[in-house]
This record gives sequence, structure tokens and C-alpha cells, in this order.
Amino acid sequence: MKVALAQFAPVLGDVGRNLETHLDLMDKARRAKADLVVFPELSLTGYTLKDLAADVALDPASDRRFRRIVEHSRGLSVVLGFMEESPAARGLFYNAAAFVSGGKVLHVHRKVYLPTNGLFEEAKFFAQGRDFRVFPTPFGRVGLLICRDFLHYGASYVLFSGGAEIIITISAAPGRGVAGTDDGFETSRMWELMGEAISYFSTAFVLYANRVGLEDGVSFAGGSFIYGPAGRLLARAAYLDPEFLVHSLDLTAVREARARWLFRRDEKPEVIFRSLERVLRAPED
Amino acid sequence: MPLKINPVFTEKVLVRFIREELGKHGFRKAALGLSGGLDSSVCAALAVRALGPKNVLGLIMPYGDSFAADVRDAEKVARELGLRTRTIDIAPQVDAYFAACPTRSRVLRGNKMARERMSILYDWSARAKALILGTSNKTELLIGYGTVHGDMACAVNPMGDLYKTQVRELARHLGLPASIVDKPPTAGLWSGQTDEAEIGMAYSELDRILDTMVEGRRTVPETIRAGFAAAKVRRVAALVRGSEFKRKMPPIAKISSRSVGHDFLYPYDWGR
Repeated sequence: MKVALAQFAPVLGDVGRNLETHLDLMDKARRAKADLVVFPELSLTGYTLKDLAADVALDPASDRRFRRIVEHSRGLSVVLGFMEESPAARGLFYNAAAFVSGGKVLHVHRKVYLPTNGLFEEAKFFAQGRDFRVFPTPFGRVGLLICRDFLHYGASYVLFSGGAEIIITISAAPGRGVAGTDDGFETSRMWELMGEAISYFSTAFVLYANRVGLEDGVSFAGGSFIYGPAGRLLARAAYLDPEFLVHSLDLTAVREARARWLFRRDEKPEVIFRSLERVLRAPED
Repeated sequence: MPLKINPVFTEKVLVRFIREELGKHGFRKAALGLSGGLDSSVCAALAVRALGPKNVLGLIMPYGDSFAADVRDAEKVARELGLRTRTIDIAPQVDAYFAACPTRSRVLRGNKMARERMSILYDWSARAKALILGTSNKTELLIGYGTVHGDMACAVNPMGDLYKTQVRELARHLGLPASIVDKPPTAGLWSGQTDEAEIGMAYSELDRILDTMVEGRRTVPETIRAGFAAAKVRRVAALVRGSEFKRKMPPIAKISSRSVGHDFLYPYDWGR
């Protein structure tokens, strides 16, 4: 299969303009013969929303703008970020990721770990998701994560245990620290380290789509990447600049990696589960 | 090593910041005050890289002839960078005011001059359809070494997260003349003033103390134990604490259930 990571800068709080960008980039993905295009976190709205969260929130099942993306997904799969407000939970605004494919929404993930410290204030404005779930897609079993979710390795572990062959993280990670000798922010290394480790030990593909551009003085770091099973860096986009990164994935690599490195076969989620239960019951035990 | 920066990447980030922040708000041009000192020269060099020399207006605003050498340095930097300049002597308007309201306080006179420069800068930014670039660095912002609504006033500030010593490193990378890079920093409020004499320590030491307390999140006693003179650490901590008001919008008395600054919270780049 061929994937495209659409590393771009959304317009903050303007769903209409971002919708047009999504449709354009979906066409670009089609022209590049990609099967899947992945947009960054909150790609339909921009990141630093604050009180704008209420204004840009939408229900993916009924919103006309969102339906245009769904209708435009015939013969193409799309992962995008948006602010979700469902009819069942009115007034609750979730930082969400949708997997859309062949005219259907296959899955919506609501961000679980909402960074709220220093320059981050997500839990002040957003509602918290409560589940990590793997779902079937035309390309095998997939799990979705949003930005900080990926830095809590338990989240990837759940997806791994659920049999995920592709772990997709959409991100709006701001860059911090310029003392490094290489190109890029120091914090970019943190994401790459996690990408390498998670792909290695879950013997799965890891796709990471980060955004670029600036909001209120904060630069988003870019550097979107693709790791193959067993920790191999397959492709990385530029830091800071927009890029449409297209790369072919050989999905048989998951089988090969799992036959060679037996982390998946030998995993004991029931032991982890029982141990976690005990930790939760008696953390001092 | 603390305070070390990668100047190539730092330049990249700041050039994009200037270009994108202005572009988002519909501007292609920038205006800034050129003092002939380090910060404004670095800011001008970044602006020229971001927008092109024709889109940068440098305002040189001396008080009479009292800073002739600095004016020459500002002109030299402008010439090397190829940007447009305009020189406006602030003496007539400052003197007119103090003739009516005399004072012997150098601080009052200095603050007035900084605010006259600000008002000229805002006027010319509107005439030139430009946004004003701030040149306050992180050291100044943290210790409050600036005039509120004077040199601290701007539309966007590319320099505010770089300590003075980091600005100097960036200046070397940007190829600014040695006469600018190595010049003793001065606020230019009166003749013979230097920052380091007024603050009571060298920037190299001040920046390391700030870096330990701010980035390192160390307390005053921990910073002293890290090897800095106790009196200097306490003085820096007091300056930082005492100048928080300069880094904030003024508090608004809360009456309603939704108030500007408290719980009416929108991003600066709203819709951009």
C-alpha cells in the first residue's frame, strides 16, 4: 500500500478553509496513487482553539462539511483531526481523530491524554476520551492515537495487544529547545525515539503525522515519520516546512517481523491485566 | 552546555515566525527602531531575511547629537542589510515637554524618550503599512529592564525567548559587524549608560543565573548552591519578581460571568 502524510498548517478556527485544503490534499493523494492520507491533529480546526472549541465542534455523522470529506473518500482512506461534539454528549468537545474510508467513518478516537501544563491547556477546554481500540481497515488492523497519547506507552501497548499492525498518531507537537547540533527542535528527538521503540517492540508500522506553521508564537515542529516493523525508519518529512510525504509500505513486513521477533506471539496481556488490577486495587502493595 | 543555541536552526525558526506572523495578519512589511545596538541589529537582519530589504523600515531616533556614534552604527547596519531607514530627531518633542514639565530625574527623562520613540514608530508603521517588530530579549523581559509602552511595545517579538548572550551568538552567525557584536550594551537613556553597570553584573553571569532559575526551575537557595554569588542571585530574583507587571496585560476587575482576560479566551491568531 502507499501512504501519504499531509504535513501542513491549518488555519486556526476556520473549518471552511481547512475543509478545502483537505479535499485538495485528498486529490493530491489520489494523483500520487496513495491508498491512505493522514492529516495532523485537529487538522480541520487548528490547535490553539481555547474558547473556539465550542464554535468549531461538529458531529461527524451529520455535519455537512465533514460529510464532504466522507463522500470524497471513495477509493481512498483518510485519517483527520477535528473537534467532535456528538448528539449523545452535547456541550462536550473532544479532540478527535477519524478513520474514514470508502464513504464510511470506520472509527473515531477521542484523545485520552490531554496535556495541561506549561504552554498546554487542553483539559481546560476539551473533554477527555476514555478508550483505545483497534479496528479493521482495508489495510489490516489499525489503532489511532492523538499526539500526547503516543508518549504514554501504555496506549500503544493496548493497540499492540489488540493486534494493531499499523499504529497511526496524528499530532500538533510544538517544537522546544534549539541547543541541538542537528536540524530540528530538541523535542523532535523524543517523538522519533518513541516511534523507533514502539515500531520495534510492537512489530507494527508507526505512522506519525505532525503539523507545521505557527500559532500564537509557537512553532509546530513537523518531522512527520514512518517506521517499519522492527524499528526501521522508512521516511521522514522536513522539520518546520510543509511537506506531502508519500511512501510505499510492504504490509507483509509485519508478518516477517512477528515471525522473527516473537513479542507478539509471546505477549501475555492477561498477566499485565491482572498485575494492573492489583496495582489499581492496592498501589502500595 | 546551558545557553548554547544552534544558530542555523534558530535563524530558521525566527525567520519563519516573522514571515508567518506578519503574513497571517495581512502584512508584508515590518518596521523597527534601530539603535545601533545588538538586539535591534539582529532583529533587522532577521527581518531582512524574512521579508526582503525593501520591506523593512528602520527608524533611527536619536536625541539630538548625544549618541552620534550609535547613529553611525545604525546607519552602517542598515546600509549593509540594504534596508530603508528614516532618521527622526526626538529632541524637539522631548524638550518641548520637559520645558513645560521640568525634571532632573534621568529615569523620567529616559522613559519619556522611549515612549516618544514608540509613538513615532507606531505612526510610521501605519504610514508604511508595516507591523512593528519588538527587540526586547529574554534577559530584559525577565528582569524588567525596559520601559512599559516604550521600547517594550510592539506587534510581534522575534527576540523575546533569547537571552542576551544567545542574541550575541546569533549576531555572529548572521555576520553582523564586530563593532556591533562586541559593543557594550546600553539602553541609551542617558550618555555613558551601560546595562551591565546599571544592573550590577555582566550579561554572561546574569544569563547563567536566569537560565538556572528559569529553565532549570531552581529556587534561590539552589541557585546559590549551584555556585553563584548569593547577593547577585537574590538581586536577580527580586528584579524578576518585581517586574511581572511588565510582562502581563493589566488585570481587569471581574464583575460578570465572562470577562476579557479571565474567561473570554481566544487565540491571538484567531481565524489566521
